Amino acid sequence: MSSKPAWLKVVQKLERAIGEPIEAAVRTDTYFDVVAKTTRATAAIKRKAESVSRRGLHLANLPAGSDLSRMREQLLRMERRLNALSEDIAERDSASPRQRTGAS
Amino acid sequence: MAPTLSPSDLLGRVNRDVERSLLRARNGIRYVRGTNRPQVGGTPKDVVWRRGKVELWRYRNGTRRYAPPVVFVHSLVSRSYILDLRPGNSLVEHLTNAGLDVFMLDWGVPDELDADNDLARYVDWYLPRAIDAARRESGCDEVTLAGYCLGGVLALLYAAGHEDAPVRNLILMATPIDFNEMGAMVALLRDGRLNAENLLDDTGNVPADALYSGFYMQAPTVEVSQKATLLENLWNDEFVDGFQAMSQWSRDHVPFPGAIFRELVEQLVRRNALMTGAIRVGDRVIELINAPGDVLNAMAERDNVVPPAAVEPIMELVGDPARRQELRLPGGHVTFGTGRSAVKETMPRMASWIIEHSYERSDTEER
Repeated sequence: MSSKPAWLKVVQKLERAIGEPIEAAVRTDTYFDVVAKTTRATAAIKRKAESVSRRGLHLANLPAGSDLSRMREQLLRMERRLNALSEDIAERDSASPRQRTGAS
Repeated sequence: MAPTLSPSDLLGRVNRDVERSLLRARNGIRYVRGTNRPQVGGTPKDVVWRRGKVELWRYRNGTRRYAPPVVFVHSLVSRSYILDLRPGNSLVEHLTNAGLDVFMLDWGVPDELDADNDLARYVDWYLPRAIDAARRESGCDEVTLAGYCLGGVLALLYAAGHEDAPVRNLILMATPIDFNEMGAMVALLRDGRLNAENLLDDTGNVPADALYSGFYMQAPTVEVSQKATLLENLWNDEFVDGFQAMSQWSRDHVPFPGAIFRELVEQLVRRNALMTGAIRVGDRVIELINAPGDVLNAMAERDNVVPPAAVEPIMELVGDPARRQELRLPGGHVTFGTGRSAVKETMPRMASWIIEHSYERSDTEER
């Protein structure tokens, strides 16, 4: 394979010169604290916004996102139950030929 | 003093440079427009078993000369086509060309319906059924079970957790055991700065984007260097295809089901349970020493996702001490799927180990 051209070597050296301190930084406690705080703050803001909009929508007797989420949860539970039943049927179907063979 | 070129050499060099510039322009336009997507996971296969989104594939490629079949268990956070990336750069293709009968257990793309899937669901429900299906299809009583990354943890727990597990050989590829050595990837969760719940979205799963960000932040500037290398090699169709396939895979994460994520954070990350040699799954404790068969601990020396230090304890903890073997491979985490070292080292060495621990079939089968 041909050797790397000079411009590529420069780019790669530059990238390492910048990249290594950044990689070291994203392994520090300070960075972990920032990520944890940002994640928690984002979730808190989202919860607050949902709570305010929910109260507003409920005042007008309209369903809010959280109501839809609850409904979706119920549907999911039903769908999971249906899937479990389908799996049971599939298991019995795949087991029955063996049982028949064993019986004959 | 620089050597002088003969007129014909000079003409040849000019011709080559012009040709490459044209190819660079063509491939550059295709790359930017995204119109030339490489074909990934191309080895012909059949779906031989399916439950929900989970599928077991059997590959069709050449003659099946050896048994038992090799069943790959893929990780839960990435796509399985890394092990069958491109023709000429595929572990699956290499093993099938060598005469092995290869199956892949692919978990699909979980959604909110799968948020309740816990460790027991994978270890005690999907895996036994998929292994039974592989045995039925191949007509063999046993399998060589090969787990990659987190798939290795699942394969190990299945093998060690079922007294009658029909596992002749257990191959653990980049399988983390010591989570204290997993570095920055898990530090936030280990130290309690974040809880599993903080990372779940409305579907109850860890979103694929969060997983991608976690990997991306390990080396956020490397992409610049990679793009510069692409620019230099843009004239080379094969290089561009390989680059695109790999970039596609590295961005192609799948959501991580919430229930198993919570369990893994609690048991593997916070309690580092695998290092005790035992872990609770469902209502029982699984002891790693009970893993049957010959155990191959395959690790990549430059793996920065699952560093060798996280993998090495397999040699102390898993299976019969007399039947453990270690395979150290050059390259990084993806050396099991792609790259120059994969083709030169990983694939041939994996194939020879598996063949050495298999037997020739009496009924050689064409496919």
